[in-house]
Amino acid sequence: MANLNVAVIVKLEPDFSEGNVSYNADGTLNRAETKSILGPHSAVASSAAFYAKVRYGASVAVATMGPPIADSALQQAQLLCDADELYLYSDRMFAGADTLATAEVLKTGISKLEGKMDIVFSGHRASDGETGQTGPQTAWKLGFTFLGNVIDYDVDMQNRIVRARRMISLQGFYDVVEEVEAPLPVFIAIDPSYKASFNTVSQRLAFEKYQKEAKERAQNYKQYLKVFNAQQLGVDPKLVGLPGSPTIVYKVERIPKAKASRRAEVVDGTNREQLAKVATRMYEVVGGMVIK
Amino acid sequence: MMESYDVAIIGGGSAGLAALKQLSNLGKQAILLEAGKQVGTKNISGGILYSKKPKTGRVYNVEDVYGPEFLKDAPVERKITQYMLHSTSRNKVFTMNLTAAHEYQANFGYSVLLNRLNAWFARHAGESAERQGGGIVSGVHVRSLSWQGDKTVVETDELEPFEAKAVIAADGVNSEVAEITGSRPKFTPEQLYQGVKVVVKLPEEIIEQRFGIGPDEGAAHLFAGDVTLNHIGGGFLYTNRDTLSVGAVYHYDSLMDRPAEPYTLVNALLKNPMVAEFVKDEVAIKEEIDKNLPKEEQLRVRFAVSKLIKTWNELRDVWYSPAARKKLVEAGKYKTEEEIKARLDSVQNELANKYHTKFVTDYVELEYSAKLVPDGKRCAMKKPYFKNVLFVGDAAGRGVFIGPRIEGLNVGIDDAVRAANAVARAIDRNNFGPQYMGEYYSQLIEESPYTRDMKEIDKDYVKIFLDAARDVPKDIIGQRYGMVFRLMSSGTLRGLAVGFANILGYDKLLPLVESEDTYVQVPVELAEKMGRPIQATYEPTLPTVAQRVARLKYDDDRISHIKVLDSKSQFMKKMVTLCPTSCYSMEGGDVTLQHEACIECGTCAKETEWRHPRGEKGVIYQYG
Ligand SMILES: Cc1cc2nc3c(=O)[nH]c(=O)nc-3n(C[C@H](O)[C@H](O)[C@H](O)COP(=O)(O)OP(=O)(O)OC[C@H]3O[C@@H](n4cnc5c(N)ncnc54)[C@H](O)[C@@H]3O)c2cc1C
Ligand code: SF4
Repeated sequence: MANLNVAVIVKLEPDFSEGNVSYNADGTLNRAETKSILGPHSAVASSAAFYAKVRYGASVAVATMGPPIADSALQQAQLLCDADELYLYSDRMFAGADTLATAEVLKTGISKLEGKMDIVFSGHRASDGETGQTGPQTAWKLGFTFLGNVIDYDVDMQNRIVRARRMISLQGFYDVVEEVEAPLPVFIAIDPSYKASFNTVSQRLAFEKYQKEAKERAQNYKQYLKVFNAQQLGVDPKLVGLPGSPTIVYKVERIPKAKASRRAEVVDGTNREQLAKVATRMYEVVGGMVIK
Repeated sequence: MMESYDVAIIGGGSAGLAALKQLSNLGKQAILLEAGKQVGTKNISGGILYSKKPKTGRVYNVEDVYGPEFLKDAPVERKITQYMLHSTSRNKVFTMNLTAAHEYQANFGYSVLLNRLNAWFARHAGESAERQGGGIVSGVHVRSLSWQGDKTVVETDELEPFEAKAVIAADGVNSEVAEITGSRPKFTPEQLYQGVKVVVKLPEEIIEQRFGIGPDEGAAHLFAGDVTLNHIGGGFLYTNRDTLSVGAVYHYDSLMDRPAEPYTLVNALLKNPMVAEFVKDEVAIKEEIDKNLPKEEQLRVRFAVSKLIKTWNELRDVWYSPAARKKLVEAGKYKTEEEIKARLDSVQNELANKYHTKFVTDYVELEYSAKLVPDGKRCAMKKPYFKNVLFVGDAAGRGVFIGPRIEGLNVGIDDAVRAANAVARAIDRNNFGPQYMGEYYSQLIEESPYTRDMKEIDKDYVKIFLDAARDVPKDIIGQRYGMVFRLMSSGTLRGLAVGFANILGYDKLLPLVESEDTYVQVPVELAEKMGRPIQATYEPTLPTVAQRVARLKYDDDRISHIKVLDSKSQFMKKMVTLCPTSCYSMEGGDVTLQHEACIECGTCAKETEWRHPRGEKGVIYQYG
């Protein structure tokens, strides 16, 4: 039995990467046409949980609230963090939830997990019109210490303390790194710049081993999946879904695309003459500047 | 507290991987460190992987290490069943069938591509190692070794240092471990060959028809004569499943004497009419797009043509591969195999008629590669260890290269097993001292039949060549070799002659046997007088070195792994010609290096500060 238990909360989001996203004529997202994937910030959170598995042999649970197809987000997260358990909280009753109502479901789910959670990870924020509040609100509801913008962390297993480095802005200076210590349990919202690094032989070996395991597990992810509805979860209907949401998003505006003032021309790279032309043009543009 | 492991193996080529597998088979814990991001991305070979059964003594073969799984499942290419030696002069070729030499003391010889094969070895060795608490760590470059008491501290560019009780150096011909430990000087040009190779695409069944081989058979063709451009060495062409390996292996000192760009040697081979006919294929050539069309239309046509050509290429590969054809039909993509052909024809027609694509005869090169090869006869380490570090394979300068015989892979695997056995014995006794482990390994290596091959002429092997040359009129080779021939053609005299030669010393004999005479003049004469003419039906379009480099994959490191020590030395000036990827150029009177295109062959290592690139960096071979 692992003596570190971690959970990650993730979200299925529209794939905003180029070529995959589609909008309706009025500028709103065409959800039917747009593919959904594990949100990029959720992916970073999953890799932070994987670090706990590789370094400390942590047992990892991944949880999400969403429609039944959100289980694909869990599968993708499992591939990244070799999750031991996957939880989907799914109920019509949860529809229309804002961040607070979402946090209520996630908190209830996490509290129900077997073994007390030591660290809960979330992404920095979601990409689809979210304000980055679900994490802090879940932390608050759980009563965990909240550490935001974490770029790096380690656990002192003996003293059960987390040492983390956070990216903050301080007195007008951006990107100041703050080092903090906090006793477990903590809630970590991971910074998008987080990148796990493994720098001992045993960590690399563990990394390989768990990565292989993750591939196998993710192929049979349903085996690890448990789905809960509102009743099974035992949430208070007044605190979830639309009724539990003090805020609503009433309009999302698409940021208008700046009109391109450039005109691109395709040049055949094997043709010397054409390349000479490009060089001349570049020379004109940079005004005879010589770049060494 | 530093992490500690029983054994560290440095280098994940076929030798290092065999050491890992064997140690794991013996229940010992070992860690293998490989610089490439994935195992197999840094290794190249010709290559034929042999399994041998020597007349006396025993060798450890690949199937001994990996078990029956190897024969069942390993991604080998083709079992070589034909082995031909061609003497060339202009368009004339004189052929000798040397299949007997290939089969001599061999269980089998498979053509292989090391990228895939080493990945397979890594999977199997890695899984076994894991069970013993060890494994493979790739993307890690070992930078130094030091000793604290009887433990070795291994330092890498990427990880925290760790300790090992024993080290196996399997880091190849350009071994940094050898340099760090000072166990042997850098190899000299007299001790090395430079090998350069291209992988050529050719559909499966075309290979079988053209080379007259069955689905499970393969051909090896070797070349001497004018294709060598008067250098000592020769060319080879091996059939893989759906590619060909075409390459040249030359005495490095011969190249030093009269520097020639390495690719000109491969090009000379590809231009030889026989080889040109072997590699030829049907190639689609895009028509220049009408520049008067609107820009969007030009883009659309460009896209459509590229896509169609891709489809055409893929369908062609399928059509010429029974397994692929069957698979597509079974998958329900096509109702019958004929339908695939019909679709292929229709794509071809569309390309030809609608887009004016031309279909011409040419050849398709997939990958260019190069590496030094240590000549075991001249540079095998006499004492293949230093303290608790055992050297195996290319790192130990071991390989059997006699005439057309090129054997480095099997020798490295045999070394690796011996090293693993010595290490396992040391672990059992907890004695890693040089007497108990190093000397014992030395002794095991000494017992290897391959070591014998590196020291002595094998008269039975010589006889095969004499038999093959039976029909050659004596006057052609008479002047030079008449005496040798007479001596060698009788059984007793042959024994005497070889005995005498071996007393004289292999070293003294070699310059006589490996000369321009044997590799160039005699073959040219043979071809001129007895060869049959072969006419090439086209002229292959040979890529430039820049095009060849452009096709390779790299993970660029901004920091150069090579430092030029003396930019004015004679040696460095020759590198301007001898670097296979033209990384060196002259600027004023100085040689300058642009390391980005380096394929880590080692040719320039002798007079540079030469390191392998940091973990994951540098060239990434796809075929090997
Ligand atoms: C053109 C050509 C044709 C050949 N034909 C044949 C043939 O037909 N049959 C045959 O048997 N042999 C042939 N050989 C020889 C054969 O390919 C070699 O002997 C064999 O590949 C050597 O294997 P190895 O494991 O000793 O070394 P390598 O394959 O060179 O492996 C060394 C490994 O160590 C890694 N490494 C090096 N330094 C470090 C470091 N500091 N830290 C971490 N990793 C490091 C490298 O990345 C590399 O993967 C041929 C060779 C060439 C070039
Ligand atoms: S720079 Fe040196 S090692 Fe690199 S390809 Fe050229 S000769 Fe080989």
